[in-house]
Amino acid sequence: MKERTVAVYRTAKKAVDEFTVPYNERTTILDALEYIRLQEDPDLMYRQSCHHGSCGTCGMAVNGEFVLSCIKRLADIPEDQAVRIEPLPTMHQIGDLAFDPAGFFNEFPDDITYKRVSDVNTDAAVPEDMEHYERFESCIECGLCVTSCPVTVDWMGPAALASIHRMIEKNPDEADTWLDRAAEKRGVEQCTKDFSCSRVCPTGVAPGKRITLLGSMIKKREKARASEEKQE
Amino acid sequence: MQPMGNVSDTHVVVIGGGGTGAAILYDLVQRGFKATLFERGELTCGSTGRHHGLLHSGARYVVKDREVGRECMNEVRILKRIAPEAIEANRGIFVAFTEEEEAYRETFEEACAEADIPTQWLDADELLAMEPRLNPTLRGGVMVPDGTLDAYRLPMHFFAGARQLGAVIRNFARVESFVFEGRRIAGVTVRDLRTGTDETVACDLVINATGGWAGKLAAMADINLPITPAPGTMLAHQGRLVNNIIERLRPASDGDILVPQRGLSIIGSTQWQSDDPDDCRVPDADVELLTNAAIDMVPDFKDTKYHKAWAAVRPLAGASSTEEEGRELSRDFEVRNHGTLDGVEGMLSLTGGKATTLRIMGEKTVDVVCEMFDVEASCRTADEPLPNYRQFFRHGVLV
Ligand SMILES: Cc1cc2nc3c(=O)[nH]c(=O)nc-3n(C[C@H](O)[C@H](O)[C@H](O)COP(=O)(O)OP(=O)(O)OC[C@H]3O[C@@H](n4cnc5c(N)ncnc54)[C@H](O)[C@@H]3O)c2cc1C
Ligand code: SF4
Ligand code: FES
Repeated sequence: MKERTVAVYRTAKKAVDEFTVPYNERTTILDALEYIRLQEDPDLMYRQSCHHGSCGTCGMAVNGEFVLSCIKRLADIPEDQAVRIEPLPTMHQIGDLAFDPAGFFNEFPDDITYKRVSDVNTDAAVPEDMEHYERFESCIECGLCVTSCPVTVDWMGPAALASIHRMIEKNPDEADTWLDRAAEKRGVEQCTKDFSCSRVCPTGVAPGKRITLLGSMIKKREKARASEEKQE
Repeated sequence: MQPMGNVSDTHVVVIGGGGTGAAILYDLVQRGFKATLFERGELTCGSTGRHHGLLHSGARYVVKDREVGRECMNEVRILKRIAPEAIEANRGIFVAFTEEEEAYRETFEEACAEADIPTQWLDADELLAMEPRLNPTLRGGVMVPDGTLDAYRLPMHFFAGARQLGAVIRNFARVESFVFEGRRIAGVTVRDLRTGTDETVACDLVINATGGWAGKLAAMADINLPITPAPGTMLAHQGRLVNNIIERLRPASDGDILVPQRGLSIIGSTQWQSDDPDDCRVPDADVELLTNAAIDMVPDFKDTKYHKAWAAVRPLAGASSTEEEGRELSRDFEVRNHGTLDGVEGMLSLTGGKATTLRIMGEKTVDVVCEMFDVEASCRTADEPLPNYRQFFRHGVLV
């Protein structure tokens, strides 16, 4: 196995600690942190759960790029580049690389559902007692989009707004209620269309596009309402 | 939701923030106990978050053990009711690809029937109509109520329920030692990683729910707890190829479960033995073995892109010296009272179990606690829907 030095941010020092870690072509940033915790420092703090990009806990800044540490491979960082691992800057820091996502989750409206109709093999037969297969949403609620977003005012942020758009996709007849939420002061109107959210999203949710679509729906609704008033 | 039963002054400390700890904690506060949970890392950072994500109807175990099968099936019915958002709506299909596997059908269906696990035989045409990407050499398959569960969000539902009822949850807080009063455990010493300080927390009972680490924790109390850490590898590729879980109609073996989850296809697993539950490095050979096993069942797997290979540790009950024996150990769980077994009062340990059976493990454990402290309160976790996992975060940041 090859070896490599990684610099890891430590809260107590307000500076990085350097560690040498073994790696092969599969080793991820999270694997490297596991190695450090087990071999060097059991007190190193970072979040992890699924190790395969499904839970959304393990977001970090690696050389300034916002990534899921369980998926980001060390071998994908050129050997002549240093490796610097830091916490996601906008989150509530609790130590080293760990954060508490309460603030992030609080932006999601209470009644957002987490499943949708499966989008593969859609022509295939389904079990008799089922209308269609359902799967979990692609959004793993990792907060990378929110962290990458350049908007600094207090607002709902891309993940929560994308979840509202998904609700309209799933329940078109509830569109009005959901659009009311998106049209709030802390909603769509704060978006500056930077689209960094979509670029950084690890699961292809495209929050930027969804916010834009919400924006057009809101405009369309306003126009329709205005012309109704005129006719009256 | 209000805590019921005798609101008790008894303080119980739960060690381990996996699914088992989550379900015990929720059940404890629901039955009126004061409870505090310590987890050394983030919640669910042990085997719980990392497992395969198969909601077990029990079919995988039923030929060997009807009772385990029946218990799983019962839990599937309950979990679908109390935490529907944590389970994809799909099924499991045990597919016969070979003549040998087809011959296993009768044994399998009989065992399922005895354990009340509903089955439906699908002949080759029906099966391919349902899952067009399966290897067309197949001969048919048995559909069972297996499903895909969200390994993180299911236990977070239980944590949300526990937090709502006043449980204290401390992550990044590692239990370092036990405080003894004679032969009785009277508290725990905890290192808070946030502050780097140690503190002592008094309690009336400690519940060791540390899964693969349970033997280590027990050793800290000078108790010999036979447990075998047995890690296994899983491999995820990008692309959802099937909607149902595809399993092989034969006794459990390596690489015989393909789980669709979100946009991924996840094949698992393998099993080896480890002395250290923390050492979960994926053996290179496992990746090739699992890739081939997936291609065998779903040929299109070869055209999908590698996403991640990782491993989790199985907390198998009982000590074992060989790998063969390891697979033979019962997958059932046990609540061990170290007072009666080892002469150390004030501590219970849980061994074995599955992610699917977290709730019933909680129930059985808290039944024992109620008996120990003479509290009359029956379990209600099967009856009340859990709050959504996002509610966990509504209570503000953990401190
Ligand atoms: C390869 C594999 C695949 C599996 N697939 C499935 C499946 O598809 N379906 C299914 O139902 N089950 C599956 N399982 C089983 C399932 O993963 C486990 O049964 C379950 O996750 C165990 O949960 P637990 O809470 O008991 O243990 P864990 O989740 O391991 O929790 C123990 C916790 O204790 C913590 N801890 C340890 N020491 C300390 C300390 N000193 N202080 C504080 N905290 C401490 C650890 O950090 C850890 O978080 C699988 C297991 C493996 C290995
Ligand atoms: S939209 Fe993408 S980046 Fe944002 S929380 Fe969801 S998965 Fe993460
Ligand atoms: S650990 Fe779950 S997304 Fe990385």
